[in-house]
Amino acid sequence: MLCTPPTPAVRRYNVRFIASMLVYAALILLTVWTFKHRPPTGVLAWLLAILPSLPIVGGLVAAGLYLVEEKDEFQRTIFVESMLWSIGATLTVTTVWGFLENFLHVPHFDLYLVFPLFWFVVGVSTPLLKARYR
Amino acid sequence: MKNRLRVLRAERDWSQADLAARLEVSRQSVNAIETGKFDPSLPLAFKLARLFETTIEGIFTDEN
Repeated sequence: MLCTPPTPAVRRYNVRFIASMLVYAALILLTVWTFKHRPPTGVLAWLLAILPSLPIVGGLVAAGLYLVEEKDEFQRTIFVESMLWSIGATLTVTTVWGFLENFLHVPHFDLYLVFPLFWFVVGVSTPLLKARYR
Repeated sequence: MKNRLRVLRAERDWSQADLAARLEVSRQSVNAIETGKFDPSLPLAFKLARLFETTIEGIFTDEN
């Protein structure tokens, strides 16, 4: 995806993923504002608290559709490898941080940051993995 | 996997980009296959063989 024109599947993935993240950001703002100014109660509070996490599913569906639609098997392999690297890195970082929180009382790492952390590592590892095949 | 893609391309005066366009893949894919760092799937290997009017064994060499 770097230094080459994006394939149609990449273009569709970018549109879907960015749209999901925009909805994610909008729902976070809406939820924070609502809980601050008009705090809901009961079931409504539970539903509203869960609401911002729904676009996360959209982001994962976008990734799944990309793997189905991408005809270039090399690009598919790079994407799968980068996600595997990210799974490993995200699990390691969050587990290590969890122990640090328990034993050394370092600042709390909010769990909703796990998803952005995962995609950040995917974004960083993709060009590195591509460089390996040059 | 070792292969003769560079030679076959040169015989036709095709760039990596030309071959990539004919295969409907990225130039990076062609480069990765050509340098032996990425092994293509069987369908892509057959596509290459048809394109160069040869067999898969005529392009790729089993190093074992």
